[in-house]
Amino acid sequence: MGPLIPQEIIGADWNLFIAFVIGIGFGFVLEQAGFSSSRKLAGMFYGYDTVVLKVFFTGAITAMLGLLFFSLFGWIDLNLIYVNPTFLGSAIVGGIIMGAGFIVGGFCPGTSFSAAAIGKIDGMVFIGGLFIGVFFFAEGYPLIEDFYMSGSMGPLKVSEVLGISGGVVTLLIIIAALIMFKLGELAEKRWPRAEY
Amino acid sequence: MNLRNIIFIGLVLLGVVIAMVPENTTKPYKLTAEQMLIEVQGAAEMVIADDVAHWLISKDPSLQLIDVRTPDEYQKFHLEGSLNIPLSTILSSENRDYVDQGIKMNVLYSNGTIGSHQAWMILRQLGFENNYVLQGGLNYWFDTIMNPQAPSVTSADEEFAKYDFRKAASGVFGGGNAETLTAPTANEAEKPRVIRKTKKKAPAGGC
Repeated sequence: MGPLIPQEIIGADWNLFIAFVIGIGFGFVLEQAGFSSSRKLAGMFYGYDTVVLKVFFTGAITAMLGLLFFSLFGWIDLNLIYVNPTFLGSAIVGGIIMGAGFIVGGFCPGTSFSAAAIGKIDGMVFIGGLFIGVFFFAEGYPLIEDFYMSGSMGPLKVSEVLGISGGVVTLLIIIAALIMFKLGELAEKRWPRAEY
Repeated sequence: MNLRNIIFIGLVLLGVVIAMVPENTTKPYKLTAEQMLIEVQGAAEMVIADDVAHWLISKDPSLQLIDVRTPDEYQKFHLEGSLNIPLSTILSSENRDYVDQGIKMNVLYSNGTIGSHQAWMILRQLGFENNYVLQGGLNYWFDTIMNPQAPSVTSADEEFAKYDFRKAASGVFGGGNAETLTAPTANEAEKPRVIRKTKKKAPAGGC
């Protein structure tokens, strides 16, 4: 039966409304988890707080398991799910820039809006920087277009590259996530901060 | 054991389960047997030879004839502008764009209607739209369009109109009764019978 919107079980007009509701929920959860403090995200880099890692990897493995079980039960057609195309070169460079931005700024785009919503000035400054970045990217696009489009690999899945089933990839990622959680907790003990 | 460890173990167990089961068990067939029965009984997939002849003559750009016979048979004779997709290759990925599309009206044909119906059944069950079957196939096409039989004198006017059209059409397609006729203009009022279904938008992704 699913996915609901491509199959027109829910009209495409609902797309933005559903995104709006999920967005509010997401922002609420970010704020509840304390992500509106820039120290939380920076703690991931310095090792004193690895909650960010846990939250996002738990989200990822829950979604992976959910999609694969839904497919198993015949509730969703995975062929209709949108897979973001891979541009390897720009993904690596973009990831480094974004990661550096996380450490320096202490926010990701989502958490900066959470922080700004509760009146944090650093969050608002971060959003300002975000728009400046968007502006320079758009204006400078012709200079980097070739690189931006390089390494195009189409909508690729890890399971297709490795030639193993999606279920096995999921199991490996779950195990990897649990190991990372454990290492994260060791790091929290190794580099503790009394108060932040 | 605390709650967290239980959740961890649960996640790993679910991962083991999902790693063991076969992948993608979602049925490739989109229509259930009941839906197919309704479609088959409705016979909405049929297009009559006269309509196809009309579209061919008027060079209707939305018409796409698909010959599902073997390449040899296709070489010997095929309808003008038809595409050869033999039944054995109907599922191959290079033909996918022809049989699964939302713009043209595909009319499948074979000598009779068995081959074209076999192809249509497969395509329809996969959920593809806009595929139709030439009623009677090429045999009927030859009997009616290429070599039309004059109706008896007591027949209704429509029979004569149909006959005139077929004779004119057979002239265009180079059939047996090629004569000069004044008829085609007389048939303009007759609109081709198109059985088009309301189109669904193709599934499209977005982020």
